[in-house]
Amino acid sequence: MKRDQKLFLIKFFVALIAMYLLVAWNPVNDHVIVPATKGIAVVAGAMLHAIGQNVIVNGTTIASSRFAVNINNGCNGIEAMLILLAAIGSFPASMKSRLIGLGIGALIVQLINEVRIISLYLIGAYRPSLFQIFHTAVWQVVVILAAIIFFLQWSARVAPNRLANGS
Amino acid sequence: MIAVVIWATVSPLYDRAVAAGAEELMRLFENPKVTHLNANGTDVTVDRSDFDPRSPHPGLPVIDLTFNWVLLAALFSINPKPFSDRNMLRFGIASVIMYVTHIFALTAEVMSIYVLRLGAWSAAHYGAFARNFWGVANHSYRFVLMFAIAFALWWALRPAPVEEKAAPRQKKRRKR
Repeated sequence: MKRDQKLFLIKFFVALIAMYLLVAWNPVNDHVIVPATKGIAVVAGAMLHAIGQNVIVNGTTIASSRFAVNINNGCNGIEAMLILLAAIGSFPASMKSRLIGLGIGALIVQLINEVRIISLYLIGAYRPSLFQIFHTAVWQVVVILAAIIFFLQWSARVAPNRLANGS
Repeated sequence: MIAVVIWATVSPLYDRAVAAGAEELMRLFENPKVTHLNANGTDVTVDRSDFDPRSPHPGLPVIDLTFNWVLLAALFSINPKPFSDRNMLRFGIASVIMYVTHIFALTAEVMSIYVLRLGAWSAAHYGAFARNFWGVANHSYRFVLMFAIAFALWWALRPAPVEEKAAPRQKKRRKR
């Protein structure tokens, strides 16, 4: 592994832990993360209504007579956005490139996350035996993988033939 | 999806190996050695020989701590030649390192039970620092570190796909 790749990993972990501590801090959680999660629930609820599901959104919970999902940390896409933020922030690029990457990346992560929430509600309502495996393994991995693949595409674009291309 | 099927199939056996490793690690620092971690299917139950055997035994779904292996497998499968010897060898090395991180993750999970969830016993045996340390260690692993570990292992161990592309740049530098 090259020196700049090691440096990237060190910066990545330092940034990630710093951002985790910030997000886990109660005032930030209560005034930023929870309202954002409520917004995610409202959007998912509206989309479920649009496809004929009779759901009620209450805070971070989407419920019907069939099933209910409560969107917690870990299901709101924040974890994928933190990884994306730490990776893009640690990668050598201009501030403009980073901001563009973060904006587009966050949008993609949240779009995929809305699909995750909707599909998990539908799986829970109509195929409950599959809920656990999709909730734990499939969708978590898909959302994080999407963030990482976006980062790789972005990094290859802003710094071709350098760090992004491996050891 | 193939990785999910492999992981779900192997999990009961793998969880035993993780539980055995975490039990050994915890008992290294215990005097007397009291912790027993018993893997049953996809759960690990926590027993202490100094507790009343009739008391409830906390159970942990270890799959919640180990599914980042699926992400690791997915990342190594991105390689244009995923079944090449080089890629498979490095995936194997990454998986072994990840196994060690799973032992630490389960240890942090059990310690967070000891320091936070056993009521008066927790309060009597552990202070505020231990509660914060193990609580943060466990939560941060579950929230972001498990994914970051998979990403970092892949990033550090992936075979270089385009080393040859870097060569012309180096030649230009030498001319200067």
